Amino acid sequence: MALSEYDVRAIAEYARIGLDDEELREMTAYMNDAVAMLQPIVDFDPAGVEPTFHPIGDLSDVMRADEVRPGLELEPALENAHATEGRLFRVPSILGTGGLS
Amino acid sequence: MSCFDELSAAEIARGVAAGEFSAEEVARASLDAIAARDGEIHALLQVTEELALKRARELDEMRARGEKLPPLAGVPLSVKDNMNLIGSRTTCGSRMLEDYESPYTATCVQRMVDAGCLPMGKANMDEFAFGSSTETSYFGKTANPWDTARVPGGSSGGSAASVASGEVTLSLGSDTGGSIRQPAAFCGVVGLKPTYGAVSRYGIVAFGSSLDQVGPFGRRVEDVAMAMNALVGPGADPMDSTSQECPVDFLEHLEDGVEGLRVGLVPALCEAEGISGEVRGAVRAAAKALEDQGAQTIEVELPHIDDSIAAYYVIGPCEAFSNLARFDGVRYGYQEPGCATLAEQSEKSRAKGFGAEAKRRQMLGAYLLSSGVYDRYYYKAQQARTLITRSYAAAFERADVLLFPSAPRTAFKFGEISSPTEMYLSDMFTISSNIAGNGSISVPVGPGPESGMPLAVQLQGPAFKDRRLLTFARAIERAFEAEGAVAPACARKGGELA
Amino acid sequence: MRKLAEVLRDWEAVIGLEVHTELTTLETKMFCGCKLSHDDEPNANVCPVCLGLPGALPVPNKEAIRSIVKAGLATGCAIQKRSMFYRKHYFYPDMAKNFQTTQGPVAFCMHGHLNLEVRGQGAAELPEDAPRERYASTPSVAMNAHGGTGALALDEAAGKGELTRIEDGYEVPIRILRIHMEEDAAKMTHIGGAEGRIGGAAESLIDYNRCGTPLIELVTEPDLRTPEEARLFMEKLRRIFLAIGISDCSLESGSMRCDGNVSLRRRGQTTLGTKTELKNLNSFKSLHDGLEYEICRQAEVLESGGTIAQETRHFEPARRRTQVMRVKETADDYRLFPDPDLAPFDLSDDFIEGCRAELPELPDAKRDRFVAELGVRRSDAEALAGDPALAAFFEEAQASARKGAASVANVLLNVVLGQWRAAGESAATSSVTPAQVAGLADLVAEDAITSAQAREVAAAMAKTDEAPEAIVDARGMRQVSDDDALMPVVEQVISSSPSQVRQYRDGNQKVIGYLVGQCMKASRGTGNPKRFNELLRESLG
Repeated sequence: MALSEYDVRAIAEYARIGLDDEELREMTAYMNDAVAMLQPIVDFDPAGVEPTFHPIGDLSDVMRADEVRPGLELEPALENAHATEGRLFRVPSILGTGGLS
Repeated sequence: MSCFDELSAAEIARGVAAGEFSAEEVARASLDAIAARDGEIHALLQVTEELALKRARELDEMRARGEKLPPLAGVPLSVKDNMNLIGSRTTCGSRMLEDYESPYTATCVQRMVDAGCLPMGKANMDEFAFGSSTETSYFGKTANPWDTARVPGGSSGGSAASVASGEVTLSLGSDTGGSIRQPAAFCGVVGLKPTYGAVSRYGIVAFGSSLDQVGPFGRRVEDVAMAMNALVGPGADPMDSTSQECPVDFLEHLEDGVEGLRVGLVPALCEAEGISGEVRGAVRAAAKALEDQGAQTIEVELPHIDDSIAAYYVIGPCEAFSNLARFDGVRYGYQEPGCATLAEQSEKSRAKGFGAEAKRRQMLGAYLLSSGVYDRYYYKAQQARTLITRSYAAAFERADVLLFPSAPRTAFKFGEISSPTEMYLSDMFTISSNIAGNGSISVPVGPGPESGMPLAVQLQGPAFKDRRLLTFARAIERAFEAEGAVAPACARKGGELA
Repeated sequence: MRKLAEVLRDWEAVIGLEVHTELTTLETKMFCGCKLSHDDEPNANVCPVCLGLPGALPVPNKEAIRSIVKAGLATGCAIQKRSMFYRKHYFYPDMAKNFQTTQGPVAFCMHGHLNLEVRGQGAAELPEDAPRERYASTPSVAMNAHGGTGALALDEAAGKGELTRIEDGYEVPIRILRIHMEEDAAKMTHIGGAEGRIGGAAESLIDYNRCGTPLIELVTEPDLRTPEEARLFMEKLRRIFLAIGISDCSLESGSMRCDGNVSLRRRGQTTLGTKTELKNLNSFKSLHDGLEYEICRQAEVLESGGTIAQETRHFEPARRRTQVMRVKETADDYRLFPDPDLAPFDLSDDFIEGCRAELPELPDAKRDRFVAELGVRRSDAEALAGDPALAAFFEEAQASARKGAASVANVLLNVVLGQWRAAGESAATSSVTPAQVAGLADLVAEDAITSAQAREVAAAMAKTDEAPEAIVDARGMRQVSDDDALMPVVEQVISSSPSQVRQYRDGNQKVIGYLVGQCMKASRGTGNPKRFNELLRESLG
């Protein structure tokens, strides 16, 4: 069940990665190669083995006290953003200006 | 007098403390070496001259006031460009972060600077650490200082090359699947991937959060041990909930020797397909050297280790997709101008900001995490992780350390490996200890008889027994008289310490 | 559109709620040390973690975890020792990382319940003969496949979900599926379009102050059947969360937010209809009215042969209608997976018991105690127990009252509370003391003053700090019950009201009220109205 260009396009849209037609072809080939390489995991029969999501064994319940720490001043917080307005970050229209009213 | 690249970290710190030379003189020597050597190597993306000189002057003023200097006073350091340092850009080798200046400094970098290191520059890397050759950097390739037609390995290729070329004494890299050990092997330097949790990840641009670990490069095992003392610092980092206290003096048992200790060899790995004769020979020679020093070699099995690569290429891309989702051009990073909608802006900013391999990994991760697919891949990869960890635990019941190749072969030529999935196999010996989280180290054993390129072996130890790895690495270093070697073409070019 | 009562005779409404509560009583955000604040300037409380800067890592707030455990214990949930944080991915800039850190199939709190008592008019929303079938608890089969461990507590505590008839209504248990921990999103302002709405806006501005605020989400099973039940559930939950002190629970400011899922099915059917999700239910009235409207709308659509689309709808209280926000064509795929930056939790018994030990008496228990031990009327007890500060004020006041707690409750709820409201005060900021209120209640209980006088005394107390007795004496306000003093007043009123006296003698008993009023007026409010009444009746034979 290979991934089609249609499938890969849908993933790219979800992941917000624009691909032109040529890139889509290449990406589809890559995705199918990579997925084939991962076949051992699909074939792997772990029969009831608990997964290990973290390689840190007995580490659990690491928490911090509810105490205020100094954060960032406004200038360094905004300095890497391309679009700001006053104290705020600015983004283009979410739905497009002709969108739902 | 002499070139600073001949000195160990300890010798530099002693010299600065004794007033034989000032920290500023060391900084200038390192800047001079960088100027003379890095044009050809391109190990560094930025030279942070002002930061280095500022730190050097602070140390010199401390000494003038009669204060005790920190243990790495005046030691030139480069850090991989995925590590935040106030006053520098953190590009991750990507157009996405070409102009990004972090408003905070990574814990590991801060701890090295606190220990007296001079931050000389930011080292080149594969984009967002996706790669094994440093060829995917948006800002150009880094050359292997031993042969500039060859890759330095990756993803921390710039870090390894900056140390191998003698531009700096120490470097920090990050290792998600071998990104410290493989370039260390290719460039003939020592590279340690500590146990997951030993070193804080706070301030390192994440690739695979459950796999990433920060570690040092040096030309001597002793230098690496001193760097580890600085990196583990006074305790767990309160800003990284996965970091743990590691109250160990890494210098303490460095010269203890290996007599009576057991070295595990894994026949399936040493004889695996695709390993070059030189690499096979290096592992045999290292085993013999350890036996000669009184260690016992035994054969051990590591069942499920074959599943590491597939497990890694599931877990890594999934975590990478998630970690790189934040790069949408809104708060920082490349932003495509003139977009009418937010979705268009995100899509185009990410399309142009990321290179091909970064897109591939994120696409693969987004697919593997999707509903219905997750259970077949991600969940099973984490089950495989359990079995791989158990394999290691069983092996370490019998052996004190395991001895492997670091990489299947010596440094390859630029462009030699073009298929992404073929490139993934360069990490076949390193990935498993990222999966299990235990520490491992690559130690040079001298140039290969056929290739003339550096050869190395890898030692792996149980979790939080990284000091033991250094003791073994030191035994190998002693046997091969490999310590301190700067790549011949670079040695003593500039860098004179007046 | 038909009325709700009519619709619910033909249709069964199946309602579930999702309630988000910000943990406003904490000092800092969920995963970083930034200050929690509702009124600071934009982006004043941000740091690398909550701005999602490269390299930043989350560290969980211990008090937030304690708060959710308390919420679980207070709502009958089984506390899951082993759970994890997950990442839920969606590309939207209100989440700085483009994923929200939340929980997976196993939440800190699973399978609780609250018992609702539905009385009076509200109870009438549910037809008398309505069947009430419950669904099996939302399955947790995928749980182990996603890394959960251990069997989950079943919801047997909630009984079989059957309705019990009680005086003037019914009682019914509503199951809680889970309460999980997550982080709130940033606030976005849409500009350049109409009314600040997202559609048509030219651009949007983002303030990350709220981003990362600790948030708990409670999800009920679809056990609710009427808008009134939904409203009562939300009120009860709010009272509990206020009692355990985890939030200011303001629906108005959005620190407590409720979404409703509602579907209809023909009475007697067992399959579920298509549901819509209702948003902007930001008051108890909106919650009730929004659901009421949506139920009636769905009935109209279905009765005219239409179908319900699975969609999110926005309630507009002013126009009493719901509007489509977005249509869900396919299930969202959020690529949920365990957050690799956060170690799994394995809460110790000590941790959980420590939370339990800090739980205050909950509103239901407090109400029952006020009734059983202090003899307070049930409706008064309910009102007092629902507000922790008011309940504490009451308890302190009644402890120093000589004439019983019932009078204290009465004076507090009917005299003092009104005064607080008028002055913008509350039990916590009151300018009268519990001892003053106790003294006032005693005077009322002893018939020493009238309730009209009680209001005047209460107003004076707030300004003077004086004991109510002293105020009453200083102003000569004591209610007069002495017949020798009252009788001349009665005689005067009788002689000056011949027509009313005639009416009374002709059998119109009601006119006595007028005559008492005249007596009160003549005595300038100081006479005992009860005694005036008796003396009038005696004199008129």
